[in-house]
Amino acid sequence: MNKTPIQMLLAEDSASDADLILASLANITLAEAIHVVHDGVETLDFVFSRGEYAHRLHEPPLRVIVLDVKLPKLDGFEVLREIKANSRTRLIPVVLLTSSNIDIDVARGYLLGANSYVQKPVDFEQFRATIRELGLYWMTMNEPPPRRSVGDHARR
Amino acid sequence: MKKPPKIRAPSHGKMKEQTVAVPLLSYAPYDSPLIDALMDGESIHQLMVDSRGDYAIFMLDPNGIVASWNKGAEQINGYSRDEIVGKHFSVFYSAEDRARGKPERELVIAARDGRFEEEGQRVRSDGSEFWANVVISAVRDRADTLVGFVKVARDLTEHRKQQERALADAQALKAVNAELESFTYSVSHDLRAPIRQIEGFAKILEEHLGVDLDPQVEHYLHRIQEGSKQMGRLVDDLLHLAQLGRQHAKPRVTPLDALVDEVLTDLRAEILERAIEVRVGALPALECDPGLLKVVFTNLLSNAVKYTRRCEHPLIEIGQIVTDGIPVIYVRDNGIGFDMKYVDKLFGVFQRLHRTEDFEGAGVGLAIVSRIIRKHRGTIWAEALPDMGATFFFTLGTEGQDAATKSA
Repeated sequence: MNKTPIQMLLAEDSASDADLILASLANITLAEAIHVVHDGVETLDFVFSRGEYAHRLHEPPLRVIVLDVKLPKLDGFEVLREIKANSRTRLIPVVLLTSSNIDIDVARGYLLGANSYVQKPVDFEQFRATIRELGLYWMTMNEPPPRRSVGDHARR
Repeated sequence: MKKPPKIRAPSHGKMKEQTVAVPLLSYAPYDSPLIDALMDGESIHQLMVDSRGDYAIFMLDPNGIVASWNKGAEQINGYSRDEIVGKHFSVFYSAEDRARGKPERELVIAARDGRFEEEGQRVRSDGSEFWANVVISAVRDRADTLVGFVKVARDLTEHRKQQERALADAQALKAVNAELESFTYSVSHDLRAPIRQIEGFAKILEEHLGVDLDPQVEHYLHRIQEGSKQMGRLVDDLLHLAQLGRQHAKPRVTPLDALVDEVLTDLRAEILERAIEVRVGALPALECDPGLLKVVFTNLLSNAVKYTRRCEHPLIEIGQIVTDGIPVIYVRDNGIGFDMKYVDKLFGVFQRLHRTEDFEGAGVGLAIVSRIIRKHRGTIWAEALPDMGATFFFTLGTEGQDAATKSA
């Protein structure tokens, strides 16, 4: 029962960026509270407790999913669409991370139901500050949707 | 009395009209009233034929039967004189044109108006089609009776091919440019991540090693971070340049003095700190994209601020000179200037005229400026002397009539 539940799912295919994100979040949350997945299919497997993540079916819900837009296999937008289309997962906050600021991407992200859209700054200091704030906000400040209501909502 | 018809070779493009006597008589039947009409007046002298044979010149009787035939006609249409004389001229038209009565209609128009001209498809004796410029002129005798027609045709196939080639070339060039822009864009886009990673890991490594860090190691780690930061700025500038290529100018009448004020406000910290004297003269309101022109002033004024760094009394002047009614905007400084023999390199990408150690920068700023000015169909140039300052001049909308509205 002492096990730290996974609270943030980080979908990031670049191992370096994942490392830098984890390093940036080091003072905010325990490393065990963050799980890293590397492509769109693995992300959905984790979220829907399928495949290698089938054992997670009864785990507490995620507080936030941080999704890189450029994921292999299924990109961030496709993953987002599936998460938001499923009544069991659609209330989980999703933060889109991108290195692009092309307007059309931002609009598309919000249209698909993203809760936040964050551009990775090029400068590392800014990057670290941004990720830190992002972690603080979604992991501590933001009140996650109550577990029950996810199901209630689905029955309506 | 009606004047005899003026018959001349059609001219198109830059072709010069050519006047050559026609050996018509040798081809025409001697008893034709058409010949009488021609023999009779001066008109024969006015007939022209192309000596190189790329004009088909032949005569038709009032019913459209071919009455004479020249070498050019033989070359272009493919019929020998013996084959064609006596046949109806509709054989030069496609089956569809014949079915629609086009040949006859052209004769009616020529008879009514004295002349018919068009560019259109014609058919050679072997059935192949070619593009031709055709002029049919009515020939009348002294009693104003229609005695026939002179038809002059020029094969435009080669001309048309050239036009098509030029168009294809222009399209290919456009495609290559678009590809290049999107390539630059994606390259600079994808370069951002690894740059951040290098900088980030160097930083984290430095933090992990803590206070006991060997000064030499610390120095190297700083070098790595500096290098990646510099590369990040460079990529940002390139990205900016690539975005400019994709962006369309949205021109509207903009008072330039307001733009200059905004830019000076952005730069005020360094201007105040170094007590730079800034003189802003009267500036016009011009048709331009205000966002893009702000980028122009930002670059020119930042450069002026940067390159006066070694001046005891730095001075920057912004103003306009009106030459031939055209406002020329200038930004002048009394900084280190440059040698005019390098002026050609000034507006190129990654071209720097000073050492990075002395004056930072990636060499993209003036390339951006020049691209924006070009987008506004303007001109930019510079005058400078080493250690005597530099002046940048630009105009907007002076190339072509429609100024920035059509820029891409």
